[in-house]
Amino acid sequence: MKSVRVFFVGGLISYRALFSWLNPWVYVPSFLVMPIFQILLFVYIGRSAKLQSDSFYVIGNALQFAAIPCLFAMANTIAGERNQQTLGYILITPARRLPLFLGRALPVATNGFFVALFALVAGSAIVGTHVAASGYAPIVLVIAVSAFACTGLGLINAAIGLVARETAVLSNILFGGLLVLSGANVPVHDLPIVLRQVSEGVPLTHGIAAARKLASGSSVGSVLGLLGAEALIGLAYAALGYALIRGTETLSRRRATLERA
Amino acid sequence: MRLSRSLAYARNVAVVEVEELARTYRTSTGILRRRTVEVEAVRGVSFEIAKGELFGLLGPNGAGKTTTIKMLITLLLPTAGTARVLGLDVARNAREVRKRIGYVFGGDRGLYERLSGLDNLRYFAELYGVEPRVQKLRIQELLQLVGLAGREREKVEGYSRGMRQRLHIARGLLHDPEVVFLDEPTIGVDPVGARELRATIAALTDAGKTVLLTTHYMFEADALCDRIAVIAQGRIVAQGTPQALKAGVGEGTVVEIEVYGIEDAVVERVRALDGVSNVGLEARDQKQVLVVQTLPGRELVHAILGHLHGSEVGRVSSREPTLEDAYVALVE
Repeated sequence: MKSVRVFFVGGLISYRALFSWLNPWVYVPSFLVMPIFQILLFVYIGRSAKLQSDSFYVIGNALQFAAIPCLFAMANTIAGERNQQTLGYILITPARRLPLFLGRALPVATNGFFVALFALVAGSAIVGTHVAASGYAPIVLVIAVSAFACTGLGLINAAIGLVARETAVLSNILFGGLLVLSGANVPVHDLPIVLRQVSEGVPLTHGIAAARKLASGSSVGSVLGLLGAEALIGLAYAALGYALIRGTETLSRRRATLERA
Repeated sequence: MRLSRSLAYARNVAVVEVEELARTYRTSTGILRRRTVEVEAVRGVSFEIAKGELFGLLGPNGAGKTTTIKMLITLLLPTAGTARVLGLDVARNAREVRKRIGYVFGGDRGLYERLSGLDNLRYFAELYGVEPRVQKLRIQELLQLVGLAGREREKVEGYSRGMRQRLHIARGLLHDPEVVFLDEPTIGVDPVGARELRATIAALTDAGKTVLLTTHYMFEADALCDRIAVIAQGRIVAQGTPQALKAGVGEGTVVEIEVYGIEDAVVERVRALDGVSNVGLEARDQKQVLVVQTLPGRELVHAILGHLHGSEVGRVSSREPTLEDAYVALVE
């Protein structure tokens, strides 16, 4: 019961404490306005170059933008402990580490889900793209799974930020990497073969592909494989991220690596 | 009060047991030519703290006080030696130790600035597993204890330094720990606030808690601590009651002479006087004060003044040795 409370209540309080973008003056432009600009940029490039449909770019960029809250917020809510000098106080509590750290991932993934969903709905309305009626509910599920998978990558980002004492640089690099590799704007089969292989192992690739198929009228059954792959990738990243955070804590007791401000 | 508590310790088992505890830091510099430097922060310290005792750990900056505390609170592993808190090894039984200890670090960082004081406490109450029903009452009690009742819903970013310190103390006591580690808890706090904090610290032992306190303020250690260990360059150089430490300086007198622009050679000549046990030169406001500790039964004021011929001399006074004199003599 105590661990359940640490996961839910503790996770939410620490998210509020450490994610400074929750201020409306930052949240609205960063999470609600920016994805629309990104969608419009690629839709107009696509139209100008006569490459893909508007729907291709709207779905791809709406889901890919979940990476902003998932990467930045996850890194801030864990690595930010070091900047606030609260890390030592956290580490000397007897709280179980799994709910302590993963509890912070829940509000992060939830926010990523809402940002991507808003971008998809608003982007579709502005650009005027059509989504098959049968696809709405499954697409919501795909967005949730994709946000979870991206949060898994965010946990690895957080572990590195904990040691490096810097979160924005790596978050930006990962966001840029996903922009290229996830198939948001360039079809995966058009990527060079090496990048295509990397693309198969990053979050969002399978989620974006599944959402596009659902929007074009495919059945839920036809995307179950993609959805499962996205969930598995998310789990793998989350497990690795958590292991890295725990490893960092253990190393810190031995070498005082997290002690230096 | 202190005597009766001291008698009680003799009957009690030690709550904190530290044996030959050591910690070495290894740091590397350079990218192509890596150079590793080892720093021995703590070099085999040993001490015990009995139940209900308020034990002071004094020492200059970098002496190893905070490193010792960090090992005791399970944040750092010792490189040698052992430490047990309530019979639990701090290296092997970290989680069990954490349930039973509280830690308060001085300074105005270490709190969630964007949260209210109340939410800071609520969060840590969750991490310490304080039951929701108990939590509300406990937080209210602690807010009363540290004088933050009525201000708990304000964001911490608007708190004064003293308020932050008090919030630190409340956080350290949320789970009603048996042992409390206080690392310079009154640092930077105004005199009135510091006095209130000292009263709060004194109340902890009255409530049966065992306290380890580090401080740079000698009068604070003298007033609060039952026993004191002085640590310098990673080693304990003296240990005992404040009275015993003061007596260790000798039964002599401390002569203080205000001087202006005194030369080092003059200080050395005073130091060489027969009957002088220690000499220090302190800067106080616009003047310097030559502090000379003399051996018992020696009247050296005239001899010292004789050596100051040619220097501008102000007020001359003599007094009994204080804990600060004992401390200076031990760490210099």
